[in-house]
Amino acid sequence: MNDVSDVALRLAIVFVVFLVAPLLVGQTEHKVMAHMQGRLGPMYAGGFHGWAQLVADGVKFAQKEDVVPAAADRRVFQLAPAVALLPYLLVLVAIPVGPGDGAVGQVIDAGIFFVLAVMGIGVLGSLMAGWASANKFSLLGGLRTAAQLLSYELPMLLAAASVAMAAGTVSLTGILDAFEWWWLPWQIAGALVFFVAGLAELQRPPFDMPVADSEIIFGAYTEYTGLRFALFLLAEYAGIVILCALTTVLFLGGWHGPFGADGLGWLWTLLKTALLAFVVIWLRVSYPRLREDQLQKLAWTTLVPLALAQIALTGIVKVAIN
Amino acid sequence: MHSVAPSVLAAAVADHPGFLSPTGVEIAFVLVGLTTLGAAVITVTTRQLVHAALWLVVALGGLAVEYLLLTAEFIAWVQVLIYVGSIVVLLLFGLMLTRAPIGRSPDADSGNRWIALGVALASAAALVWVVVDAFRTTWIDLEGPAQGSTAVTGAFLFRNWVLPFEALSVLLLAALVGAIVLSRKHDTDTAVRRDTAVRPDTAVRPDPAVRPAPDPADRRGKEEQS
Amino acid sequence: MPPIPGSGLAKGLAVTLRTMTKKTVTAQYPDTQPELPPRSRGVIGLFEENCTVCMLCARECPDWCIYIDSHKETVPPAAPGGRERSRNVLDRFAIDFSLCMYCGICIEVCPFDALFWSPEFEYAETDIHELTHERDKLREWMWTVPEPPALDPGAEEPKEIAAARKTADKLAAQQAQQSEEGGTP
Repeated sequence: MNDVSDVALRLAIVFVVFLVAPLLVGQTEHKVMAHMQGRLGPMYAGGFHGWAQLVADGVKFAQKEDVVPAAADRRVFQLAPAVALLPYLLVLVAIPVGPGDGAVGQVIDAGIFFVLAVMGIGVLGSLMAGWASANKFSLLGGLRTAAQLLSYELPMLLAAASVAMAAGTVSLTGILDAFEWWWLPWQIAGALVFFVAGLAELQRPPFDMPVADSEIIFGAYTEYTGLRFALFLLAEYAGIVILCALTTVLFLGGWHGPFGADGLGWLWTLLKTALLAFVVIWLRVSYPRLREDQLQKLAWTTLVPLALAQIALTGIVKVAIN
Repeated sequence: MHSVAPSVLAAAVADHPGFLSPTGVEIAFVLVGLTTLGAAVITVTTRQLVHAALWLVVALGGLAVEYLLLTAEFIAWVQVLIYVGSIVVLLLFGLMLTRAPIGRSPDADSGNRWIALGVALASAAALVWVVVDAFRTTWIDLEGPAQGSTAVTGAFLFRNWVLPFEALSVLLLAALVGAIVLSRKHDTDTAVRRDTAVRPDTAVRPDPAVRPAPDPADRRGKEEQS
Repeated sequence: MPPIPGSGLAKGLAVTLRTMTKKTVTAQYPDTQPELPPRSRGVIGLFEENCTVCMLCARECPDWCIYIDSHKETVPPAAPGGRERSRNVLDRFAIDFSLCMYCGICIEVCPFDALFWSPEFEYAETDIHELTHERDKLREWMWTVPEPPALDPGAEEPKEIAAARKTADKLAAQQAQQSEEGGTP
């Protein structure tokens, strides 16, 4: 019985984090983006500096009519948001926050493969949404999403493989246990490739060609309204949380920190994740959108060679150490 | 069709320690196996192209769950990563880029239904026979240390099966090189054609002066109508 | 020297980061009123005492949005045996702000400085008819007209002040001459 309650508690915590963390990132994006553009951002909802803006948005979305276009493929159309969102919930279960087995939803032996595999499923949601909407813009958006995923999945996997080689394990907790501070400069190229490729998979600016509003309205999500639309948005922000947490765990040492008590490892993880989330927002504000061909070129001519070079470097250093 | 073998295996597994008292894992295994089989059948029988691809996702995902239940965690995630995450996405991408109407495609059926069924049954029978013959009474101990963990799989693959593994790699590499060569040849072809097309003596440039101007009378008539 | 690759990207990030640390330019309007300069084209105020009902404003208005009614009154002669004078008395002065396009021509043409720009702008109505404001409202707005900005240093003197000073100088000169003449005998 104790086991059951333990598992239930962990899942409940993961679920709460899954619901709260994206909102936090979203609110931070509201405020940070506003201040980077000389604005104030939301100021009214909730009273103090608009802290409840996203809650208000959620209420608004819940009130809206759920429209399914007449020509759409009903079931696929309605299923797509769930397919886009659920993978991130699953991934969150496997991310270790602190040292030991106590600070992770579920220890998974092949952690890297699990998170990357399940994250790859999320894109199916966009594809389904794009196709089932019976809208040319949606279809274009879905195709762009797929093209982007196909080209950026490879460098992301290669970069993750480099860390797995360095640690000699594919388990996320194992990688953190093996982490040393000098991995940071050693794996820096891999970290960059992983983060950039992850951004591209999430379709975050400057890689937001699939939802380029000036060309194809909102890509695959054009026809969505109300809660289903909100679920897609939630998936995007959950994706940011996951990507930042993963980069933290794989490349920045997770709960390792230069100082702090043993019990405060989780604080380091959260801090690094928050910092990376800030960088994600910062990049969005600073850079214009990449064109579709530039996107593909970046993936195939820069990121893939960089990731391969990183793997070669990892291999050489690893052999030299042994 | 792949799912036939595991479900039969499950039946064999359930047979041994007592057919009447299957454990929870075994029940789950059979149920997931049936779901997978159903999804696979729908995949090949549905008339809606994209639905077929999506049912394929269900079938492949069910297969991954079966691997998980057999403690082959690594294989399960690789299955999801490669098949669901990449192959099906590529498949859908190709479908949507060419033709993927919403609703039924009348030409989604080939005339070879019976032949296909025969081939499928034959290959399923062969697989079942091979697997049953190879493993017979081999047991997977679900309670003990995971036998399909990453370390075990890696050691097994690179100790016992290195040669087939490398042979497969070379095969895939050859396919890759072939694909690149094919696409590049096509590329130069079009480049040459484009060169000839824009040669100044053959190119026909539209002259802005002779472009027919819109007839004002015609337009006025339209305006009056509206 | 060619720029280091990626320096442009870094520069972009620096710009946004610097902007984030600066004060924002957003004005929280309903909470804090904007500080509008004098002569902002908010609303037109009427200083009734200056108006002579010359009708120049109403005639020059491109939108015909100024309504003026008046009647004549005879004023008894200032000196006994003099002629009676007639004077225009304003009965109605209204501006329809649903027609007004805030061109300011009426204010420019008014020869007696009876019309002024006021920065007051919060006079939206739910019915378009209520946007025609009568003289009492226009007079209330008159009190919101801020002082005109100071002249630039070295600018030409305002005409009326120059004229007044010229007269004053002349008077002073006359007085001086008189006192001189009175002093010599």
